[in-house]
Amino acid sequence: MKEVPIIEMKGIVKVYPDGTKALKGVDFSVKQGEIHGLLGENGAGKTTLMKILSGMLHPTEGKIYVRGKEVRFKSPADALANGIGMVHQHFTLVEVFDALHNIILGMEGHGLLSKINVDKAREKLKKLMEDLNFRVPLDVPVEDLPVGVQQRIEILKMLFRDVDVLILDEPTAVLTPIEVEELFAVLRKLKAEGKTIIFISHKLNEVMELTDRVTVLRKGEVVGTVKTSEATPQLLARMMVGRDVVLRIQKPPKEPGEPILRIENLWVKGDRGEDAVKDLAFEVRAGEIFGIAGVEGNGQTELIEAITGLRRPEKGRIILNDRDITGRPPKELYDAGMAHIPEDRTRMGLILDMTVTENAILGLQWRKEFQRWVGTVDWGKAKRHTEMLINEFEIVAPGVDAPVKSLSGGNQQKLIVAREVSKKPVLIIASQPTRGVDVASTEYIRNYLVKLRNEGKAVLLVSADLDEILQLSDRMGIMYEGEFMGIVKPEEVTTEEIGMMMGGIKYEELNK
Amino acid sequence: MKSSISDLIAAFNFKALLESLIAIVIGFLIGALVLLAFGYDPAVAYSALFGGALGSTNSIASTLAYSTPIMLTALTFAISARTGIFNIGAEGSFYFGAIAAVIFTNIWANMWFGLAMGILLGALWSLPAAFLKVYRGVHEVISTIMLNWIAWFFVFWLVVGPYANPNDPNKTIRIPESARLPLIGNTNLSIAFIIAIIMAVLSYYLLWHTVFGFGMRASGLNPRAARYGGVDPNKAIIWSFIIGGVMSGLGGAMKIMGEPPTYAISQGMANVYGFGFDGIGVALVGRNHPLGIIFAAIFFGMLRAGTALMQIEAQVPLEIIKVIQGIIVITIAVPGLYDLVKNVFKKG
Repeated sequence: MKEVPIIEMKGIVKVYPDGTKALKGVDFSVKQGEIHGLLGENGAGKTTLMKILSGMLHPTEGKIYVRGKEVRFKSPADALANGIGMVHQHFTLVEVFDALHNIILGMEGHGLLSKINVDKAREKLKKLMEDLNFRVPLDVPVEDLPVGVQQRIEILKMLFRDVDVLILDEPTAVLTPIEVEELFAVLRKLKAEGKTIIFISHKLNEVMELTDRVTVLRKGEVVGTVKTSEATPQLLARMMVGRDVVLRIQKPPKEPGEPILRIENLWVKGDRGEDAVKDLAFEVRAGEIFGIAGVEGNGQTELIEAITGLRRPEKGRIILNDRDITGRPPKELYDAGMAHIPEDRTRMGLILDMTVTENAILGLQWRKEFQRWVGTVDWGKAKRHTEMLINEFEIVAPGVDAPVKSLSGGNQQKLIVAREVSKKPVLIIASQPTRGVDVASTEYIRNYLVKLRNEGKAVLLVSADLDEILQLSDRMGIMYEGEFMGIVKPEEVTTEEIGMMMGGIKYEELNK
Repeated sequence: MKSSISDLIAAFNFKALLESLIAIVIGFLIGALVLLAFGYDPAVAYSALFGGALGSTNSIASTLAYSTPIMLTALTFAISARTGIFNIGAEGSFYFGAIAAVIFTNIWANMWFGLAMGILLGALWSLPAAFLKVYRGVHEVISTIMLNWIAWFFVFWLVVGPYANPNDPNKTIRIPESARLPLIGNTNLSIAFIIAIIMAVLSYYLLWHTVFGFGMRASGLNPRAARYGGVDPNKAIIWSFIIGGVMSGLGGAMKIMGEPPTYAISQGMANVYGFGFDGIGVALVGRNHPLGIIFAAIFFGMLRAGTALMQIEAQVPLEIIKVIQGIIVITIAVPGLYDLVKNVFKKG
C-alpha cells in the first residue's frame, strides 16, 4: 500500500502582480515524520512555495493536499488549523512583549470576554521546553534577547500551537555555529516525536547533515527530489546552479594593469551587529572585471556599502588609487574617481519623485559643469547633459522633465548606468546591475561594462545571477558568510565547483 | 531676468494650483451650507467678506498685513516639509522673534538690529528640535509641540514680567519709533509684506536652484538615495530647521515692529498667538511651494481681513471663517481630489 504523503502540492503556479512568475508549476510532496530540505538559489521560489503552503500567499494555480485531503488556505490561521506553521526569515515578534506573551499572542480567542489562561500557558510552555531541552527566558522583553533566542521563540510559538509540519526559512542564517548545532539537535528530537520539518536552505553542508530528502528548486521549477543518503554535495550543487551558460558577450582577452582598488583585511558589521564581512582581502585591477558571486545575504551588500562610503567598516583598509578612502563619505569617493551602480534601483539609485534631469545629476550636482555660479545649479546645462545621456544610452524617456518613475525599469537602470559613467570614473562598482531589467537593456548594460573594462577601467561586479558573473568576470570571488571560498578565473572551474563554494566549501577543500 | 521669470512660471505646478483652487471653491460651497444652516444669507456674507478684503485701499492693505506673518510661518513648515520633516515649531520661534524685537530695539533702537535679533532667536529656538531629531531620533512633532509650550510660557513671563509696560499694563514696552518698519504709502501696511515676499522668492531659489536645496529636497524624498548621492541628510535636516527658525523669527519680529498702532506684544500674547499654526494651513494650500505660499497667504489674509465687515454687515461670527478655512485645508489634504473631480467632469 502506498503511503499518503502528509503534504502534497501539485502544479503550483505563482504569478506576482508585477508579472513575475515565481513558480512555474511545482510538484512537491513531503512524507510524515521526515526532515525535508528545500534547496535553491535566490529567486528559485523556495520561500514563495512555503508561503503558499503556510497560507501567507495564494497560489495562482495548483492544488494543495494535506494528508490526502484537498485544502484551500485563506490565511496562516487556516494553515495552522491544519497543523502547518512557518518560521519566517524575518521574525514576527512584538519587540516589547516578553516571550510568553509573544507565544500566546493571537490565541486569546475572538469573543469580547474570552480570556487566555496565562498560567496554564506558562505550564504548557515549561513542559515543552523541558521535553525538548530548548529553553528561552519567558519574562524578558524580546528586544533584549539575542537573535538566536528570538528564533527559538518563533519555533516555540509554532510548537505551542501543536503544529505537525514545521517550516523553517533559512533558520541558520542568523545563528552562530553552536546555535546551529543546538537547533539541529532540537529538530532531530522533533522528528523523533513524529513531527515533519521542511528546512529551507542554500547551504549544502547543512542540508547534507540534517535532512532525509532534498527537493531542489531552480528558477521556479523543481529540478528533482533525492534521498540525502544517496546524494553528494556535488550532485546537489549541480542541481542548484547547473545550467547552460549562453555566451553572447564578446570579451576580448586583456592583460589587467595596476591595482585600482585594494581591500585589506576588511571587517564590516551588518545591521544586527553580526560580522557580515570577515577579514576580506582582494584587489581590482585596471582593465579587469572582478566578479563577486554568492547567494545573497552573505555579506555582499555590507561589503559594497563599506567600499562606497555608506557603511563604516570595523577594521581594515580600502585603498583607491593608492589613497586610503576607508570611511570617507560618498562625495569624496566620487571626486576620487569612484562610480557606484547600487543594488537597489528604486530605493537608492533614484529618487522616484524627482525628474529625469534631477536624477541624472544626483551625485554630480556639485560639479562645476552644472553650476551657474558657486553653489547654484544651472538647470539648462543639466538638461543638455541629460539629453546627451538619453541619446547616447538609447534611454526611452518621455522627456527630461518627466518624473523618473514614468520610465520602465530597464530604462531607469540605463539612466543610472549612464549617470555613473558620466562621472568619468576609474572604478565602477556595479551591484546587481541587471536585476529586474528587460533582456535588451541587460545585454546593453553587460556589454557596456565590458566596454569600460576594455577602456582600462576597473569594474567590481556583484551579482546574484551566476550567468552574469561567469560571462563578464575576468576573476571572481565566491562569497559565503562574509568570506571568499575562493578567488578563481571563471574558465578554470566548473559550475558544480562554484555551486559547492556558494554552499560554503572552500576551493582548496574541493578536490580532496 | 527674462529666463528667471519663465523659470518661475515653469516651476509652478499647474495641477497643484488647480487642486488648491478646487479645494477653495469646495470650502466656500460647504461654508455656504454652514451659513445657511445657521440662518445667514451666504450671498450677503460672502460679498461683505470680499468687500472687507478687497473693497478699498485700506482693506487691501489689511489683507496684505494679515498675510505677512502666516506667509513666513508657512515657509517654515514648507522648507522643512521639503526636507522630509514635519516641523510645527514655527509658533515657538515666532514668539521668540517677537520678544527679541521688543527687547533688543529697546537696547539699540535700530530696525535692522531688531530684525537680526528676531531672526537669531527664532533660529536658535529651532535648534533643540533639530539636534534631538538628528542625534537622538526624537520625532520632531513631539519635540516641537513641547518646545512651543516652553516658548509660550517663557515669553509669556517676559511679557507680563520684566518687559511689561509700566504705563500701560496691557502691553509690553513699545518698539522705539526709530526702529519701526516704514509703512507703505498712507496705509497701515508696513514693508514687512515686501520682505516676506522676498523671503518666499529666496526660499524658492534655495530649494530649486542651489546645490544645497537640491540636497534638501533629495533628503526629503529619499534619504537613502540622497546619502548615496553625496548629500548628508542630517545636515540637510538641521539646516531646514534653522532656515525655518529664521523665517518664523523674522515673522515674529516684523509682526511687532510693523504693526501700527500698538508696536508691542499685548498681554496674553493675543497678537502673536496662532500664526505658526495658521502657517501650516497656508503651506498646505500653497502645496509647500514658496511661490504657492505667497498666494495662499494672501488668500488667508483676505479671509481674515474680510471677517470684520462680514461680522458687521451680515452679523456672521468670526468662527464661521475659521470653519471655512478648516474645510479648505481638509479638502486639500484629501489625496487625489483633483483626479476625482476631473473624472466626474469627464463622465458628465
